[in-house]
Amino acid sequence: MTKIAIDRSMVGQEFDHTVFPPVTETEILAYAHAYGETNPLHTDPAAAARGPYGGLIAPPTFAVSLRGAHFMPRDMRSIGRNGFDAGKDIEMGAPIRVGDVLTGSSTVHDVYEKTGRSGTMVFIVFRTTVMNQDGQMVAIVDQKMMFR
Amino acid sequence: MPSPSLDTIDVGDELPALHLTLTSEQVRHYAQTANMPGGRFMSDAEAKAEGLPGQIAPGNLSLALFSRLLTSWGDGVRIKRISATFRAIVRPNVPLVLSAVVTEKHASEDGNFLECDLLLENQDGERLVTGTATVELPA
Repeated sequence: MTKIAIDRSMVGQEFDHTVFPPVTETEILAYAHAYGETNPLHTDPAAAARGPYGGLIAPPTFAVSLRGAHFMPRDMRSIGRNGFDAGKDIEMGAPIRVGDVLTGSSTVHDVYEKTGRSGTMVFIVFRTTVMNQDGQMVAIVDQKMMFR
Repeated sequence: MPSPSLDTIDVGDELPALHLTLTSEQVRHYAQTANMPGGRFMSDAEAKAEGLPGQIAPGNLSLALFSRLLTSWGDGVRIKRISATFRAIVRPNVPLVLSAVVTEKHASEDGNFLECDLLLENQDGERLVTGTATVELPA
């Protein structure tokens, strides 16, 4: 079993900063289709154009599909294969529209240990803040990874 | 779709449940589209090589299905926050039920909001994913 030390000095450190290519209509439609979304705001450009946002907007969880250059801090890579996704929390901000240029900034938000029936587990929360080209927050995604 | 309103919703109300069975291809397709190319999401063989019982669905797919459950409630429903805890693996070819219940409602200058508890369970009633959400209703 991998022994993982709790190192709280990593909390708050930015380990990834990625500027993504402009969001395309194809990406939004593909993501919505992939989980069976039916809301026309995310699936029908013509209907969305007549809606409250004046055009297609990305589905609520679209931000989780953005992959920065680094999934976790480089010095944590050795424990990466043992990790499991334990949970997600997404705070939504401004809607994501076609043509938006999004920037993701990822930090280690929290590190803590829990002991349960199956032994001791270490939880690391990675926080990615996604901003658009106008400086508006579009999503804050907390990903909780569990390591045994 | 009619719009739900704070006046017609009470704490304890349940949203119409979403019943579905994910296919192996749907899981693979979502993972590829969501830039999650891990072998555990692609096939039984690759998942078993990682020590899993077979192909599993990404947690992000469960989260996306929760969002679908909420926004299909009616026109103008907007998710402000959604959170999920992945308690057990979700596998393809297993009947699933997603449900939500209203736990709180409140109005403020910022709008009309509901708090909901979310649940994804299998046909045996096993709680695979739990969650919470804050949704904004049309004014």
